[in-house]
Amino acid sequence: MAEAASIGRSPLMDWFDKGIGLAFPFIVALVVAAVVLLAIGENPLDVFALMFAESFGTQRRIAATLSAATPLLFTGVATAICFRSGVFNVGVEGALVIGGLCAAFIGFTLPAALGLTLIPLAFGFAALVSAIWLLVPGFLLARYEVDEVVSTLMLNFVAFGITGYLVNGPLLSEISGNNVTPLVHEAAQLPRLMPPSTLHTGFLIGVLVVILYGVWARRTPSGFEAALVGQNKRFSSAVGISIPATIILVMVLSGVISGLGGASHALGQLHRFADGFSPGYGFTGMAVALLGRNNAIGIFLGAVLFGALASAGTTVQLFSDIPLDIVNIIEGTVMIFAVVELGRISLKRWRARR
Amino acid sequence: MNVRNAARDETGQVSVRLGADRLCKSYGSIEANRDISITVAPGEIHAIVGENGAGKSTLMRMLQGIEQPDSGRIIVDDQVVDLTGPQRAFTLGIGMVHQEFMLAPDLTLLENLVLGDEPVIRALGPASTIDWRSALESGERLARETAAHVDWSRTARNTPVHIQQFVEIIRLLRRGTRILILDEPTAVLAPQQVDDLFALLKKLRDGGTTILFISHKLREVMALADQVTVIRRGEVQYTSPVAETDPDTIAGHMVGGQGVLPESAADAKSRQAVVGDVVLEVSGLTTPIVEKSHPLHGVGFELRKGEIIGLAGVSGNGQNELVECLVGLRPVGGGVVSFAGQDITHMSNQQRRARGMGYISADRRHEGLALEASVEANVIAGSQRKPPISNGGFFNRRAMRRAAEERLSFIGVRHGGLDNAAGDLSGGNQQRLVFAREIASRPSLLIVSQPTRGVDLVGIAAIHGILSDFRRNGGSVLLISEELDEILALSDRILVMADGAIVGETSASDADIGHIGRMMVIQGAGDG
Repeated sequence: MAEAASIGRSPLMDWFDKGIGLAFPFIVALVVAAVVLLAIGENPLDVFALMFAESFGTQRRIAATLSAATPLLFTGVATAICFRSGVFNVGVEGALVIGGLCAAFIGFTLPAALGLTLIPLAFGFAALVSAIWLLVPGFLLARYEVDEVVSTLMLNFVAFGITGYLVNGPLLSEISGNNVTPLVHEAAQLPRLMPPSTLHTGFLIGVLVVILYGVWARRTPSGFEAALVGQNKRFSSAVGISIPATIILVMVLSGVISGLGGASHALGQLHRFADGFSPGYGFTGMAVALLGRNNAIGIFLGAVLFGALASAGTTVQLFSDIPLDIVNIIEGTVMIFAVVELGRISLKRWRARR
Repeated sequence: MNVRNAARDETGQVSVRLGADRLCKSYGSIEANRDISITVAPGEIHAIVGENGAGKSTLMRMLQGIEQPDSGRIIVDDQVVDLTGPQRAFTLGIGMVHQEFMLAPDLTLLENLVLGDEPVIRALGPASTIDWRSALESGERLARETAAHVDWSRTARNTPVHIQQFVEIIRLLRRGTRILILDEPTAVLAPQQVDDLFALLKKLRDGGTTILFISHKLREVMALADQVTVIRRGEVQYTSPVAETDPDTIAGHMVGGQGVLPESAADAKSRQAVVGDVVLEVSGLTTPIVEKSHPLHGVGFELRKGEIIGLAGVSGNGQNELVECLVGLRPVGGGVVSFAGQDITHMSNQQRRARGMGYISADRRHEGLALEASVEANVIAGSQRKPPISNGGFFNRRAMRRAAEERLSFIGVRHGGLDNAAGDLSGGNQQRLVFAREIASRPSLLIVSQPTRGVDLVGIAAIHGILSDFRRNGGSVLLISEELDEILALSDRILVMADGAIVGETSASDADIGHIGRMMVIQGAGDG
């Protein structure tokens, strides 16, 4: 009976699908924003033009956009790597925060005399600790089938609690104001790419991570296995792929990348760890991964898009009467419609489990 | 309309309560039902028996109005009716109890009983008040009539299955069902519960309800039914009053006599007993009882090099569990499995594969293939770490494509392109794709489960050819199939499985299809 459904799909259709997948939530968001803008008596086209100019208009604005996109490159990949295997890791946010704290800790505690070796040390330590951080829910899922959505979500709060305590207590800077650690040594700070913009070399590391992810996903046996597990667990175990090993691998990789992201943000952007280190980069990363369909190029575009919204938002309200909230509305709507995609994936998973 | 009403007024004189007259139904090229005619008299328990895939379900769907026949007529109370949908069948008094019960798990049994047809105190549309007292009274009355003990305040979730089944039946009766269709009602019941159900059904029959009973357990048919009809390959093979027949005759009609490939069946007769080394040795294999699975009770056999063992049996007698234990996808409870002289009882599927075991899953759509993945991914899966496909941790894309093409062309899989989804292929080609993958790793042993299910005749011949070639080249095969013809055509030795145990063995040269069929269906019935 199912043979009736065997209609060949043209490559054009696939391409169209992918394009719509990326653009659809964004188009809906613009429509919603346009309605809101009309309601408050603004011309949506003018506002959108201003927003575009503020995110891509000049070299400096582009630098600001890419700077805002930098953490999202890491969190997008960290999320996609798990989602691709059907593992619903929502703990990237917590792992990023933990990684940021670890990198900052290395950056201001080790002797400054270590010089440039501080950077790899800080990145390595952050990656290690964040990997262990996500290994815990990964192991619980692989071994005891503990629902990863619940465990990783709850671990986020643990991460906020631990880091919040440390920056208010043992690691509190003596000379600065509230809730920040001391600055890292100058040698541990990532070089800026286009001063005075805050765009730093972390962006290049992020791009490298996205590229490596793309290579891993498409060109290595382990990436192939991870994708098969995401597509069909029963099939995968029947052809000899270990589901627990795959789950643990993707969780550890996700932790490593989250940790690198935290280190990049701490050493490149803030030069320290601070309470409120991440305004939700891990969660926006989920939208980036979903929007980009777990595809390397898609993730890059998604991260830049959200980066653009963030950088436009901060300046648009300086130059017009438009409240910052309009940008939040667009962001929120994009996320909701990107989550429609999430709904499709979980429906697939539910079917597979039956 | 008037004529029909007249007939219904004189119910006592109706000669055919439910009938099918030359019903035909095809799905694409598959003829699921061909000229099926049955007549069920009022107040009769009529058993429909047949193997899985014989066409019973299709017939039931048409009698329920879920599907419309391509040709032929359905008769209710001597009148030709047009069952446009399930609702129409229901108003005519046809009700069905499905294998999976349709009760809402979180509602109480009483709420389930009245669901969809609640008695009301005041009819005020949405503001009506449900008359629970009268609901309970009607429930108790029906329970009394059928001698069932039902605690109406329990939720369906917390009720034993046989009581759930009673409630389902009572619910249909309450809403005016006069013709009750039961689809393998005993599949979920323990022997004692089966007796209770039968007592209930007999009581209903004596009260005037007509019952159509689908089963493949002959002991139950003999114990319960007044009339039996055998369906095989979409056609009525045999019909008789139960009092005038015996299980052997029914079993003979169920399993049939002619093979799809008579010449290879003849070839089987000439085969010699295989005397190669033992490749797979299973002894005392058991599984713990898990919900919805059939436990194994000390399964043991030996499979030799260059031998095909056919494992016959009605599905659901432990075959799937045995296969999963053998390929390492289900933990073993007790016993030993050795492969090429090595104990593999607790090895993973991966380790077993590395030692030369291949696996053709019965569930092609969910386990044999990843339908959404590409043809290439499906045919490469499992070899993704082997050179030349992967070298130094990276894929060699060109070598991968070449390997995929070679594997596919080796056994002639027709596909639109390597990047197309495997789900786009026809059933037969999907199964060939599975074989292409499994054969490519040059296994010494193939565990093959239901290899030709849903495959067309050309595909069946091709798959049988692959298995014969594999055996000729020294491979060993454990072939699990519901198709007795297939087992006879390919096997050197035949084992019969029923109720989680091997209940019989015969060599291909003196295989008697009637004898095998009897072991399958008679010994398989409960504790017998």
